[in-house]
Amino acid sequence: MQEPLLKLININKYYGDSHILKDISLDINDGEFLTLLGPSGCGKTTLLRCIAGLVSIESGDILLRGESIKDLPANKRNVNTVFQNYALFPHLNVYDNVAYGPRIRKSMNETKLKRRVAEVLEMVQMSGYEERRPHQLSGGQMQRVAIARALINEPDILLLDEPLGALDLKLRKYMQTELAQLQKQTGTTFVYVTHDQEEALNMSDRIVVIHEGRILQSGSPREVYNNPRNLFIANFIGDRNIIKVKVLEKGDEYSRIRLGNHELYIRCSGNAECAGDMAVLAIHMDKMRISCNEMPNSLTGEVLSIHYAGSQIRTEVSVDGKKITVIEYRNSDCDYEAGDHVTITWEDSGAILLPMEDFEENGI
Amino acid sequence: MKKLKQNAPAIPILIWISLLVGMPLMFVVVLSFLSRDSLGNIVFRFTLENYKRIFDPVYLRVFLNSFILAVLTGLITLLIGYPVAYFTTKLQPKKRSFVIMLIILPFWISSLLRTYGWIILLGKTGLINSLLMQLNIVKEPLNMMYRFGTTLVGMAYMLIPFMIIAVYNSVDKLDKSLVEASYDLGASRWKTFLNITLPLTIPGIAGGFTLVFIPSLGMFFVSDLLGGGRTIFLGNLINTLVTRGRNRPLAAAFSVGMIVLVLLVLFIYNRVAKDKGEGLF
Repeated sequence: MQEPLLKLININKYYGDSHILKDISLDINDGEFLTLLGPSGCGKTTLLRCIAGLVSIESGDILLRGESIKDLPANKRNVNTVFQNYALFPHLNVYDNVAYGPRIRKSMNETKLKRRVAEVLEMVQMSGYEERRPHQLSGGQMQRVAIARALINEPDILLLDEPLGALDLKLRKYMQTELAQLQKQTGTTFVYVTHDQEEALNMSDRIVVIHEGRILQSGSPREVYNNPRNLFIANFIGDRNIIKVKVLEKGDEYSRIRLGNHELYIRCSGNAECAGDMAVLAIHMDKMRISCNEMPNSLTGEVLSIHYAGSQIRTEVSVDGKKITVIEYRNSDCDYEAGDHVTITWEDSGAILLPMEDFEENGI
Repeated sequence: MKKLKQNAPAIPILIWISLLVGMPLMFVVVLSFLSRDSLGNIVFRFTLENYKRIFDPVYLRVFLNSFILAVLTGLITLLIGYPVAYFTTKLQPKKRSFVIMLIILPFWISSLLRTYGWIILLGKTGLINSLLMQLNIVKEPLNMMYRFGTTLVGMAYMLIPFMIIAVYNSVDKLDKSLVEASYDLGASRWKTFLNITLPLTIPGIAGGFTLVFIPSLGMFFVSDLLGGGRTIFLGNLINTLVTRGRNRPLAAAFSVGMIVLVLLVLFIYNRVAKDKGEGLF
């Protein structure tokens, strides 16, 4: 087992009376693209700032390559941050912004500096903009300069605080691909903070879901997407139908449940977790299919409405009085209209049975 | 027509300003070209004599005195005021407003009274001298009054709130993430201050300097009371010419000269603020 690059051990952080980070422990491996995902106010940005050294922690420790950096000020840590609003120095041009770190650290002479600045600007495709001032750049360009300014210092870890938040949708998608490429190309460890599940799923090697100052789950995008550990994650990542069901029989991997008049076999998220009388069934809307034929392990219901929303068809079906939404990307193999009775099936990986405990809290 | 409608609310202010600022200013300018008789009455006869007299070396010296006093006042208030303003922005909001209140508090007391306060403090039998004599630190009372330095101290004291408020606003407005980015890139607090905070607060410094420079040219009572009239400044000269010299046309010419000096400073301020403020404010 390889020694983690960064080790967070039981980190606690308070702002006044509010407990922002609760016993956060996390290992970050060298060269991975790790995303901290959570709704706003969950503490993900605070955690990032703790790693950067911009805020102190009340208890716990932060080890970088096995050595504690907890008490080092931000300027002594070999990590760099790309700030949400870019934070480019407005009185300096692009060249001087990028050269700021090496000049402050006196880490290279002007000749080498010139070459390195050219290199990193090339890497983020901003060659030729050296003389521009930040206010003469577009949002996406400022973003690239901010990344170049951080990368030139060859940090052990690059911290990115919702760096794409201010860009428009198209540019954001484009930059996602670019960031992921840049990360692979430089081999730098990225710790990326976002509240956008799509961004997280798209770019990351590993996603860490944070909610109310706690880590709820950590795993690959596929794992987090298909096997959410609890209802909060199921509800936060992807669009799901979430229904309260009765557990009839608890199996090792699959449990037999009752939903209205239907009996179904559904995969369990954990071992003991769906052992109760009641559980929550969560099915990805886009992993469901509508069919006109009877199928095993399926639901039947009456079509309430059909919406065509560009590339996708959104159908609402009433199953024993419960409304279920199905999203399909191509026409179903049968024709149906509102009022028809249809059968709904799903990919096995798209359905999961979750514990009841946090049903009320999530207000579903 | 539409523009006129939009600007309609400004009209009362324009009338107000032209009546109470523009007209008197014009009187001063007109007066500076008039003559006077032996009793000091104004005679409506055009002359350039007043302006010729301004360029008399004796009077040029007065201009220089005033200029030096104003520049030094600006520098002293900057050196003391900048750290005060800087550290005030770092305080918690409650403490911050308390400090700001303390800084503004002196404005509620007549500036004349406060100037007399300095005499009580610095005079031969004043507080400091009595204390030093009591403690046997000095045998003779120190001569702290009626010097150029006394005027300078009084002037700086009187005007420092302007500098502090101007710099405070500028530092407070500074994007905190720029400072954090500088730390993040490896700069210490001091280097961050020199490379980021200071250059980005130059508009505030220029603003504060202007706010201090201009009134320090005109506050004649400070140098009258604290400087004892030993060094003559523009303000004192104009005051003397009007009240005792009975030469209002000459006083008007000096006033015009002072206005030109002020305009010069405002011009420089505009250049600095515009240049440095680009894309920031």
